[in-house]
Amino acid sequence: MSAPTTATDAEADDGPLLDVRGLRTEFRTEGGPIVASNEVSFSLDRGETMGLVGESGAGKSVTARSLMRLIDSPGEITGGQVVFNGEDLLQKTEAEMRDIRGNRIAMIPQDPMSSLNPVMTVGEQITETIRRHQVVSKSEARRLAIESMDDVGIPDAEERIDDYPHEFSGGMRQRVLVAIGFSCEPDLIIADEPTTALDVTTQAKILDLLNEMQEREGTAVLMITHNLGVVAQTCDHVGVMYAGNLVETAELGDLFDRPRHPYTRALIDSIPEVDTDYDELPTLDGAMPDLGNLPSGCNFAPRCPHATEACRTGGDPSLDAVGDDSSRAACLHAADLDLSESTVPEAGTGRRDIDRSGQPLFEVRNLKKYFNAGEGVFGNVHLSWEGGGLPTVERRHVKAVDDVSFDVYPGETVGLVGESGCGKSTVARTALRLLEPTDGEVYFEGQPLHELGSSEIRSLRREMQMIFQDPQSSLNPRKTVGQIVGRAMEKHGIATGEEKRERVGGLLERVGLSRAAASKYPHEFSGGQQQRVAIAHALAVEPKLIVCDEPVSALDVSVQAQILNLLNEIQEDENISFLFISHNIGVIRHICDRVAVMYLGKIAEFGSIEQVFSPPFHPYTESLLSAVPHANPDRETDRILLEGSVPSPINPPSGCPFQTRCPKKIGDVCEQDLPELEAVDGGDHYISCHLSEEEMSQRDSFITPSKRAETSPADSD
Amino acid sequence: MSMYNYVFRRVGFMAVTLFFVTLIAFAVTNILPGDVALLILGPNATEQSLEALQTQLGLNRPLYVQYIDWVVGLLQGNMGESLRFGEPVAQLIAERLPRSMMLAVAATLVAVVLSVPLGVYAAVNQNEAPDVSASMFAFVGISMPIFLWGLVFILVFAVWLNLFPTGGYVSPSEDLVGSLTRLVLPAGAMGFALTAYIMRMTRSSMLEVLSEEYINLARAKGMSQRVIVLRHALKNAIIPVITVIAFQFSYAFGGVVVLEEVFFWPGIGRLTLTAIQSRDIPLIQGCILVVALIYMFSNFAADLLYAYFDPRIRYGGDD
Repeated sequence: MSAPTTATDAEADDGPLLDVRGLRTEFRTEGGPIVASNEVSFSLDRGETMGLVGESGAGKSVTARSLMRLIDSPGEITGGQVVFNGEDLLQKTEAEMRDIRGNRIAMIPQDPMSSLNPVMTVGEQITETIRRHQVVSKSEARRLAIESMDDVGIPDAEERIDDYPHEFSGGMRQRVLVAIGFSCEPDLIIADEPTTALDVTTQAKILDLLNEMQEREGTAVLMITHNLGVVAQTCDHVGVMYAGNLVETAELGDLFDRPRHPYTRALIDSIPEVDTDYDELPTLDGAMPDLGNLPSGCNFAPRCPHATEACRTGGDPSLDAVGDDSSRAACLHAADLDLSESTVPEAGTGRRDIDRSGQPLFEVRNLKKYFNAGEGVFGNVHLSWEGGGLPTVERRHVKAVDDVSFDVYPGETVGLVGESGCGKSTVARTALRLLEPTDGEVYFEGQPLHELGSSEIRSLRREMQMIFQDPQSSLNPRKTVGQIVGRAMEKHGIATGEEKRERVGGLLERVGLSRAAASKYPHEFSGGQQQRVAIAHALAVEPKLIVCDEPVSALDVSVQAQILNLLNEIQEDENISFLFISHNIGVIRHICDRVAVMYLGKIAEFGSIEQVFSPPFHPYTESLLSAVPHANPDRETDRILLEGSVPSPINPPSGCPFQTRCPKKIGDVCEQDLPELEAVDGGDHYISCHLSEEEMSQRDSFITPSKRAETSPADSD
Repeated sequence: MSMYNYVFRRVGFMAVTLFFVTLIAFAVTNILPGDVALLILGPNATEQSLEALQTQLGLNRPLYVQYIDWVVGLLQGNMGESLRFGEPVAQLIAERLPRSMMLAVAATLVAVVLSVPLGVYAAVNQNEAPDVSASMFAFVGISMPIFLWGLVFILVFAVWLNLFPTGGYVSPSEDLVGSLTRLVLPAGAMGFALTAYIMRMTRSSMLEVLSEEYINLARAKGMSQRVIVLRHALKNAIIPVITVIAFQFSYAFGGVVVLEEVFFWPGIGRLTLTAIQSRDIPLIQGCILVVALIYMFSNFAADLLYAYFDPRIRYGGDD
């Protein structure tokens, strides 16, 4: 396969592959232009990987799309140069750009579920790229497509090429997208959050694949991500963006060893690390400013712990070289600040002691929730035509939750962790009777929830509140925050009138908002502030238990840290219990006292954080923990990559649900017998596995015992 | 296997629906005011002859017996005899059904040919002049009742321009050209009126699809606008439009009684009208049933087309 021109190749030998100079992209809005990418300059050599990191709204995706000139109206590239292979892409015609896209510069998009056309076979989607850019016959293109599917590790490529996207799992679809990206052997791949939508075990495999493909083809990669763990694992060279500006660039090691911009330091520190204990996460106040309403002076000054008067009043600092390493930073004080030390405080005295001698606050026993497979009245009716003659009718179920038991004591946080589809959210909803359980028992302070009528449940709801992932959709947009929080108090007869107003004001202050927030509407708040409102709403009725369903997953890391600290603080003051659901292992590690690891509707392992994160491990827990990318470039974990993907809960494997993927599978016993959730090492640590304790203890703990958090805590999402 | 399941489920639903339709058709015609025997024999009939006729027609039996009788007849292909025409209902309907079918198919074709390209064109040029004018065109079509469009078409194309006959029906087997020239105006008028809805649906469906991630990726692969619109977007966007087309087809079929009147088109619409005017109960029941069947079958066809266009249904995927 050949590049379109040989002249550019020759030319490019002297300079970098990509040289971006002063790139500026604006969006026209009614309130005037918004600069989403402001004078961004960086360069990228052949075969190199550069990470572009930042929180949402930082401008990393806009910058990447600008490179390919894929900015739609009302956006417009208003300045700068994008020199690629020695030629300025901004001077090219649209037709010339189309010859470059997919050919010399290709994109791997974020979401494997929505980035493939559902009505075209994956083969059509790969071959059309090849046929668009290369003069090859149909059959030759098909052969090349099969080859590229082979290259990205899709098994049975020859049979699967005519399948449609929905017939592939998320991880396999992402492989198809990687195959499309590499199909024309481009010089540059722009990977826009290529693993963000994936589960952590799948993410590990895709990152490996990307590294491997890149090495084989010598392709340069621009990796756009918010995840510093991904950066540490894949990049040579990093750019950090904030509010449309590139605020720091450095080689990977330099960035982590000695960040030069206070934002970089804060970004690294605010991520809960899988192997470190914290009492409190270091946080930044506030959130990234609205691009339409930037502060005067340095954009970061309002949140910066080191800001001086000069930062607030001067212009936006430019990106200049600092020190004698590879770093460049846009900070007035870059030269005199020493940010090499983490701001993560000395690890505390360890975890709270929870008194588990009395009655649990919340107790779930053998809970089951089966859904009908398919929709509608006849939705779960399936005809089986096997065996000839008349079809037999069978009814199918999805066993979303299958025999789950755990308890939560007063003042305790119990986590439910697992990958998407493992049933963790359904457990919570069924236990609270938001969904009717199929079978099982649930006790709240000894009262059998599963036997109560709907009016009794309603009055008990006061004691059990819920916080959801997306605060925007759980707060009524037509009510003020004061009304939302106040109504909960009225409904449960806690306070009315002046007393209610007083309490609402106090609660809003308690969650870190001002009293004045009561008269505002939810949409006037940022995502983090909305989550604070949701917390105030939950606290309004003085509950004993709050179920938190992925409460920080939609938030940026710096805001996530604020919310986690707030939840911890509230728990300490009010002795509330939390049932905390998350796919983020670092978050779970940080906030929970005990945790249940779920797989395919069942609990694989249950115990305290120390127990679950230390041997003996359930093989699934072990691979899950090992797959979390650490935001420390010096740290190599011996990762266990799981084969295949999670089986369908309609037709779960016989015996142990994990046996189809288990790297430590013994044999027939795993296929035939479902292992009991049995106590190991002492008594309150439970694992459901046929292996002996010794066999489950071959790896060291994931916990570094109480010591100063090293320079770079890791991300883990 | 999954496709079998899909069809099986649809057919099951249709059987249930059909049962309810027969119930309603039967109930409605029996609540209608007016004594059939009186209607047939005239106001001067004697009490005795009325009673005799009622017995002969079976009208004095309990309702459920009459219903079961009717349904059993239906299952044997016997829809009863028209009181007004004295001919079997099935035969009356069979004679007119193809004519209405011809008109409805032609009208739907006109509407689809006009509206789908227009909707795509409008979506691609969202909020610009072509979009606004396409929307205006469609809006004009829907802004007047269909029969008025019929009259306007007759006035313009038949009376002033003298291009087509003003109405009437000729069987295509007798005179193909004459038949088609008589089809143009009613099909055009009806098709024009149906355009708006399909066009709006195509436009909004296209707009939604064009903002999908896979369209972004297609652009990043270097695909031209033409390929993106026709290959990547339209095949996705057409799926919800099919329901609308199926609905408009059945509307064209049963709903526009007046248009058949305007163009002297002897189809099911006019037959229904006559049946109602003369309280011809077996005929009314037959017409209701046939129109309901058309609705059901066009929706069934839409569901099958769905499956054709959407592989997620075809192969029983559920995500």
